[in-house]
Amino acid sequence: MRGHLVVREVVTGLRRNVTMTVAMVLTTAISLALVGTGLLAVRTIDRTEQLYSDRVEVQIALTRDVSIADADCSGDVCAGLRARLESSPQVAAVRFESQQQAYQRYRELFAGQRLAEVVGPQSLPATLRVRLADQEQGAAAVRELMAGEVGVSTVIDQRDVVGKLFDFLGGVRNVAFALAVVQAVAALLLISNTVQVSAFTRRTEVGVMRLVGASRWYTQLPFLIEAVLTGVTGALIAAIALLAGKVLFIDRLLAGIVSANVVPPIQVADVLWVSPVLLAVGAGIAGITGYATLRLYVRL
Amino acid sequence: MIRLERVTKMYAASTRPALDRVSVEVGKGEFAFLIGPSGSGKSTFLRLLLREDVPTRGEVYVSDLNVARIPRRKVPRLRQRIGCVFQDFRLLTNRTVAGNVAFALEVIGRSPTTVRRVVPEVLDLVGLAGKAERMPHELSGGEQQRVAIARAFANRPPLLLADEPTGNLDPDTSQDIMLLLERINRTGTTVVMATHDHAIVDSMRRRVVELDLGRIVRDEARGVYGVGR
Repeated sequence: MRGHLVVREVVTGLRRNVTMTVAMVLTTAISLALVGTGLLAVRTIDRTEQLYSDRVEVQIALTRDVSIADADCSGDVCAGLRARLESSPQVAAVRFESQQQAYQRYRELFAGQRLAEVVGPQSLPATLRVRLADQEQGAAAVRELMAGEVGVSTVIDQRDVVGKLFDFLGGVRNVAFALAVVQAVAALLLISNTVQVSAFTRRTEVGVMRLVGASRWYTQLPFLIEAVLTGVTGALIAAIALLAGKVLFIDRLLAGIVSANVVPPIQVADVLWVSPVLLAVGAGIAGITGYATLRLYVRL
Repeated sequence: MIRLERVTKMYAASTRPALDRVSVEVGKGEFAFLIGPSGSGKSTFLRLLLREDVPTRGEVYVSDLNVARIPRRKVPRLRQRIGCVFQDFRLLTNRTVAGNVAFALEVIGRSPTTVRRVVPEVLDLVGLAGKAERMPHELSGGEQQRVAIARAFANRPPLLLADEPTGNLDPDTSQDIMLLLERINRTGTTVVMATHDHAIVDSMRRRVVELDLGRIVRDEARGVYGVGR
């Protein structure tokens, strides 16, 4: 097998068929970029779970009368609740947040927004904030412990709130993967079509190859390399697009919540981790599609 | 060199067989014409030898190979033993004369050294030594067919199949091509040529196998095309 001959065939093939080649590369790139987005979402979900696993608290909101009357949890009701919580083996620590403290935090959180002026200290409950020793069963235990107790208004498991964030990230992942599948079908059809067109434009060469007894492998190789090359080019463009998207778009979009430590940032390393996967997927799928097309539709 | 044993070939689209219990043998170094009207089965005959098709019944042998039985991956090896020439030349228009011949050798994995040695040799044999760097469109029909013959013969196959090689050429040029095929035949290469060309068959006085409606109706050692055809 003479390498330079195969290269010559591939270059001729791609040049003759340049519009199709470009369409094929772009479709593959979009499909793979979506796959990459999905993979990055998966990675972010994992990271976010880690980020929250040791930060999430269960909040016990106290009733209005207790909240107003007790500024430092020294009253019987609040202290009693606190003692009960602290005696539970599933609780790591309990912290009291008075109405005034809650109001301060609230103002910081919504600084500059009209909401901050509407709310006064009295409209917020004082809370007992429980850090769990046992992330899995702790929340249920605390809920049970506090249910129906005097002075308890509601029990809020922050994980319910965080769960919404996970739902959102999961949605991003699902949408990205679904679009990737649709695009992938388009890319596959294009690759298949391009291989057929390519084989047609080179039918004289291929005919001569067949007649003089070139091996099937030798006859097919230029077509396969063409397909794989466009797959790889598509993957490279997808990787660059992801990197650009991260720097120009995602970073800015997430800047606020990343600095507030709500979600972990997407790092360059993440994109670099995704890129080889995209390359392998691009090359593999293009190669397999090309081969199947040659077997099914093209007589070599 | 080639042997067909009661070969029948049916095509799905037709009720009449393209070849009907054809048995024939062409010996090593022989020169045989395959004649008959369009649709008589000449092309099918050649296609079976090349394993472009397999017979519905019967056996086809090329040298010691049972053509229909060899596995697909060995088909290239069969075709390397058979040179092919066609009415429409089938040259690569974007390659020079030498490039066309070299292509046939390169794609079966011959070394660059071999290619550089063989191409001028074979171009010299077909009388195109001075035109190696011309493009096919710069050549006459006869010269283009010579390139095609050079390409078919470059690998020195023991069998050369020619399907109407003079079909597009004027009588004088056709004669030149026949002389060339004769010369190749004298090197020991078996030549089987399908043709409609009365004049050529009559002037060559070689073996004639006539097909009609898929059957062999005549097989003469020194035949003519036939009167009134």
